[in-house]
Amino acid sequence: MAIVKFKDFSWTYQGYKKPTLRNINLSVKEGEFLGVIGRVGSGRSTFCMTMLGLIPHFFPGRIKGELVVDGLSVEESSIAELSTRVGLIFQSPDTQLTGAGTTVEEELAFGLENLGVPQKEMNKRVKKMVKLIGLESFRNRSPFELSGGQQQKVAIASVLIMQPRILVLDEPTAQLDPLGTSQVFDLIKKLAKKGITIILNTQKINYLAEFADRVAILNKNKLVKVDKARKILTDVKLLRRNGIIPSVYTQLSEQLIKEGLYKGSLCLTLGDAKKMIKKVVKK
Amino acid sequence: MTPIIKASKVTFTYPAKVTALRDINLELNEDEVTAIIGQNGSGKTTLVKHFNGLLKPTKGEVLVEGKDTRDLTTAQLSKIVGYVFQDPDDQLFMSKVYEEVAFGPKNLGFKGKELKSSVKNALKMVGLWESRKKHPLDMNLNDKKLVTMASIIAMKPDVIILDEPTNGQDHQGIVKVESLINKLRKEHTVIIISHNMELVSKVADRVVMMYDSRVIFEGSPKKAFTKKKLLNKTYLKPPLITQLGQGVKGMPSDVLTINELVKELQKVSK
Ligand SMILES: Nc1ncnc2c1ncn2[C@@H]1O[C@H](COP(=O)(O)OP(=O)(O)OP(=O)(O)O)[C@@H](O)[C@H]1O
Ligand SMILES: [Mg+2]
Repeated sequence: MAIVKFKDFSWTYQGYKKPTLRNINLSVKEGEFLGVIGRVGSGRSTFCMTMLGLIPHFFPGRIKGELVVDGLSVEESSIAELSTRVGLIFQSPDTQLTGAGTTVEEELAFGLENLGVPQKEMNKRVKKMVKLIGLESFRNRSPFELSGGQQQKVAIASVLIMQPRILVLDEPTAQLDPLGTSQVFDLIKKLAKKGITIILNTQKINYLAEFADRVAILNKNKLVKVDKARKILTDVKLLRRNGIIPSVYTQLSEQLIKEGLYKGSLCLTLGDAKKMIKKVVKK
Repeated sequence: MTPIIKASKVTFTYPAKVTALRDINLELNEDEVTAIIGQNGSGKTTLVKHFNGLLKPTKGEVLVEGKDTRDLTTAQLSKIVGYVFQDPDDQLFMSKVYEEVAFGPKNLGFKGKELKSSVKNALKMVGLWESRKKHPLDMNLNDKKLVTMASIIAMKPDVIILDEPTNGQDHQGIVKVESLINKLRKEHTVIIISHNMELVSKVADRVVMMYDSRVIFEGSPKKAFTKKKLLNKTYLKPPLITQLGQGVKGMPSDVLTINELVKELQKVSK
């Protein structure tokens, strides 16, 4: 069943003539992991904000068509209502952190407190999240006295702790080191296995290739194509036409095919590339 | 050659009692591109904020062009060292791109023709001259970051520090940043902080690796990416292509690019 459904959906920010999202039609099934790719400025961040109702309730503008999230019409529901079902992780932690708490732990508890989660349950969840995302060494510090990457981790934790049924992530690991990035992606993968619906906007095609069920391409404010992850991510013509560079593994296989060193299909993941190299070396 | 920046025994503790730098000794040479790498929270941003005087050492000293940063005013220092913030929203505040870029040089006393030409030159360099009338906060992240870079370039400092210049950018953005660094290196000493090892391997002459508030390695990117033990300890990883090469028997462990790897594979398969 579709848990998110865009129907002829368009959005124009106030003061702008052209829509930032244009005639989007898309159904996301419950429990699905959807990757979203496209150039900066293609409308991806706006797309992410629609599902929590920041559009149209926080940013003024004009909607056409319809967006239904978990049975709620986004236009007719409040952000508060939507936020019990949808968690949105922003690209910039500054946007996310409320500053309501004087410590990292309080920042994490803030949302739960608002929902009226009992103290005991709250403490338990905070503790668990601190451990999962690796915040131990600064859990009692102010969220504003942290490094950029540490802040991003806190922002991610503050959304995950709400246990949303639908998780929308807008470039969540831009500032994270390799360890932090894989911790976060592992966690997302676990949540996906539990049946949480994931919509992930990222430039890191390598990760999408491993996890996503389907991938959608946005370009110039339109949804260009949605299909199985591997199909989209190895369609180098389609990617390049939309300003997206294929994964390094794909590029390597293209090059090896061109040089006549390898005959086979294009690689996508590290696993593919390792197999390919074995073949090339054995020859 | 005398170093343009020299840190001696620098220790720094934030008011919140967090010690973010311990006994840092580092010399940066003029006209080199240095990349500082390390885990989140290892002290990279704290260190470079010492180079432009945003922070002053708790112990030890930082010399910029031979002068102790404690003896220089922020204005004097910003003529020499420009710092582009990790998060562009921390830096942008004017309502027009042009004004944003003109703000710094104006403050330094640039006037008339000199002001105009430095702003124009900086905006052309980042490819945003056509967007000069836009509102910076209305721009996409790629372009916002480029505006913050232009506003530092316009001040014509000798040293330009870029804190995570490719943070959140798409491929076109990354390509732009790379070519910008290659332009900047002709006239400036450039320092970048980055988690993007592909970028580091392409542009850096020298890599400084940080771990837990200390500098634990200095050397060329090729050397840095073959230091398996250090990389493991800091949870850093070489570029993906280097990792692939390191998995093949008999192949050099410092293959950095797709082309290098293809060449090596040609040798092996013959
Ligand atoms: N204003 C502050 N007050 C107290 N501690 C701080 C402050 N800013 C940073 N820190 C701490 O100092 C240490 C170094 O932080 P720094 O910002 O230099 O890290 P970084 O290497 O730039 O990390 P990142 O890759 O996440 O940006 C971290 O432990 C961090 O928590
Ligand atoms: Mg930093």
